[in-house]
Amino acid sequence: MPMNAAAAAPSSGGDPAAGSVLLRMEGITKAFPGVVANDKISLELRAGEVLALVGENGAGKSTLMKILYGLYRPDSGEILVRDRTTRIAGPRDAISQGIGMVHQHFMLIPPFTVLENIVLGSETSRLGVLSYAKPRAAAAKLIELNNLHIDLGASVEHLPVGLQQQVEILKILYRGAEILIFDEPTAVLTPQESDELFKTFRQMRAQGKGIIFISHKLDEVLDIADRITVIRRGKVIRTLDRAEATKPLIAELMVGKPVILNVDNPRLPPGPAVLEVDKLGFVNAEGVAALRDVSFRVRSGEIYGIAGVEGNGQSELIRAIAYRTRISGGSVRLLGADLSGLDVRSRRELGLAHIPEDRHKFGLLLSFSLADNFILGSHYKKPFVSVLRTQVRRQIAENARRLIAQFDVRAPSEQTPAHALSGGNQQKVIIAREMSAKPRLLLANQPTRGVDVGATEFIYKQLVEAKKNGAAVLLVSADLDEVMSLSDRIGVMFKGSIIKEFERESATKEEVGFYMMGEKAR
Amino acid sequence: MHWGTLFDYICKGLDTSAPLAFAALGGVFSEKSGVVNIALEGGMLFSAFSIVWGSIIFHSLWLGLLFAVVIGMAFAAIHAVVTITYKVNQIISGVALNILAEGIARFLSQNIFGQETQSAMNPYSFPSYRGMNVFSLVVIPVAILSWFVLNKTVFGLRLRSVGENPEAADTLGINVTLMRYSGVLISGAMCGLSAAVLYPSRWVSGMTGGRGFIALAAMIFGRWSPIGAVLASLLFGYADAARISFASSIQIPSQFVQMFPYVLAVVVLAGVVGRSRAPAADGVPYEKGED
Ligand SMILES: Nc1ncnc2c1ncn2[C@@H]1O[C@H](COP(=O)(O)OP(=O)(O)O)[C@@H](O)[C@H]1O
Ligand SMILES: [Mg+2]
Repeated sequence: MPMNAAAAAPSSGGDPAAGSVLLRMEGITKAFPGVVANDKISLELRAGEVLALVGENGAGKSTLMKILYGLYRPDSGEILVRDRTTRIAGPRDAISQGIGMVHQHFMLIPPFTVLENIVLGSETSRLGVLSYAKPRAAAAKLIELNNLHIDLGASVEHLPVGLQQQVEILKILYRGAEILIFDEPTAVLTPQESDELFKTFRQMRAQGKGIIFISHKLDEVLDIADRITVIRRGKVIRTLDRAEATKPLIAELMVGKPVILNVDNPRLPPGPAVLEVDKLGFVNAEGVAALRDVSFRVRSGEIYGIAGVEGNGQSELIRAIAYRTRISGGSVRLLGADLSGLDVRSRRELGLAHIPEDRHKFGLLLSFSLADNFILGSHYKKPFVSVLRTQVRRQIAENARRLIAQFDVRAPSEQTPAHALSGGNQQKVIIAREMSAKPRLLLANQPTRGVDVGATEFIYKQLVEAKKNGAAVLLVSADLDEVMSLSDRIGVMFKGSIIKEFERESATKEEVGFYMMGEKAR
Repeated sequence: MHWGTLFDYICKGLDTSAPLAFAALGGVFSEKSGVVNIALEGGMLFSAFSIVWGSIIFHSLWLGLLFAVVIGMAFAAIHAVVTITYKVNQIISGVALNILAEGIARFLSQNIFGQETQSAMNPYSFPSYRGMNVFSLVVIPVAILSWFVLNKTVFGLRLRSVGENPEAADTLGINVTLMRYSGVLISGAMCGLSAAVLYPSRWVSGMTGGRGFIALAAMIFGRWSPIGAVLASLLFGYADAARISFASSIQIPSQFVQMFPYVLAVVVLAGVVGRSRAPAADGVPYEKGED
């Protein structure tokens, strides 16, 4: 039977039960072949709080949440909802217990409208015929109450990611959820969209709902969480109150040793220009000028950071440098050679290396072994290929073992398929491959997205290492702190142009942020 | 052309379109749920045998039709079990079933009617009007009903969701397997209905002549919508009727004339395929996340 969303939504506004325990998980254990993903985990969620769940990639956060939502069955342990032991055998049980989950990958039906997505599975109907009047009214009310901004009639596939996430939130609120699980919701959002999400969190918190929030971004966690539970290798290490939590403390609890988030990044005397971009223009498939008159150069021994809100031409810029692209004007030169018309292999032979934004699509062959992934791009070159053009297995395996050790990739063996690794370790594989090519120009596009603090620290060190080896590094990141702490020079991109350049010494976060929003100089 | 001949042509065209239209509607249900069913051809053929056989056994065309519908569903159920429960590649299962249908029908025909390549005459038939089997008109309410079911009912919404993103549907508590079985079984029932308008008077080996595939083309051209699929079936059906009507009066080798509907299908598909989009999970077996 469909739940009555209208009744479930506003009634909790007065909220006499604030602070009471909504949910208790006790001694949850779950093993997968080869790993104990959750090892006797216990946690507690109260009404009217945001509980942050933090831990390195692979710590077991998603597994725990999938157990709570009934997608996985725990090997042992108990779940108590409002002090009553419950068996959650599937999402249906979870929903009827008032538990809702916004997954890491959205669970939407793209061609359906927002309203259809909301009612799906909990439809209102008479004799099997759908009726939308009541659901529409209930959803409209929820939109208003929770700082959402969605048009119920729009089809979901045309919505930007931030709004799709709002549809997911609306979906679970509509089902009367009191316990809301968010698995890395901000990984796909721009900073502005994240702020909107946190506004929604605050409103839901004020209504007495309990929110479990998973994130790798410690600043966000400190911003929104009331309590913070740290998980490491499947175990709860500690639960902190907001007041006692600091960034270094959380990071240390997560990793198990102190983490230095400020990298030692000395400024080096810059060498000759390696990458020269001149008046570059690019028109995308929709006919929009995604790049206009972009000019900058990156010199040997420096990191040039591109700051900007996502979608202001960063992806297109990287594309024009890394791939053969039909540009509409200007030029891109690498060590003096014009890149126009050159295919990827020729670009790489000139010394280009690339850590792509989407590591699954462009960085790895997920079903291939690590060993094979490590030689992509140099698979046709000497140690890996024999005179007869066959691949030399022994060399490939040796190369893989060396890189795994050198770059601290956590994997069972070099024959493990890439998809079996956590995000942070996948990123290390890509970085190991690209760095081992001894690049002259390293493009690093969102290198730490979705990566935990331990791996982030490691990646920062590698970028600095590349620069020390004389490479020119072009860094693109949506994380302003990252750009600020790594770059020697910063270019701010807005609407397809670099509207301002800063030297590292003279850049302040406020001022860079000001240009990111497209404000003209005062 | 006289009004009379034009009217004849309209009726004749409906007659040739109706089997395509029923089968195409079946394809829509199956594919909207995420299962590619190229066994429509075999389903039509086997149902065409069943309606003759059933009518003779039960001494009634209506019971024969019911029999054909049930057999069509049973035949589709094989596809469902193999592709949904056992997750065998849907194309391979479809190809196998198409071969199987012909084989079983021949075997039964040999044993029942004493002839491998054709059945006995079915003495029962639907009335015909100007060369049109009047049952053809039934396709119109069935198309409207299909549209209504797919777009206005809880069942339709869930069926479509499973064809687009079964994982999402599953997390909302929708039974993916049940929905996909339903889609495939409905396509089997539609094959049974198509048998009523194909040629219920006699079964002949190979009599479907690729109509199941043309129906699939109509489904694609109709963008997986019931009304679109029926309109596309009318296009192909009238093209075929034109071929039959005018074949004798044109000085072209008959083989070329016979190619006409198929060439039309290829051209039309080449023109629309870019713009027409299949359900996202069409043809993809659903594997649950864990265990
Ligand atoms: N379906 C699965 N099958 C096998 N191993 C899994 C599965 N899901 C997760 N794991 C393993 O369990 C561990 C915890 O994973 P996960 O819960 O996704 O971590 P987190 O969300 O904290 O990054 C990892 O080692 C991961 O490889
Ligand atoms: Mg996770």
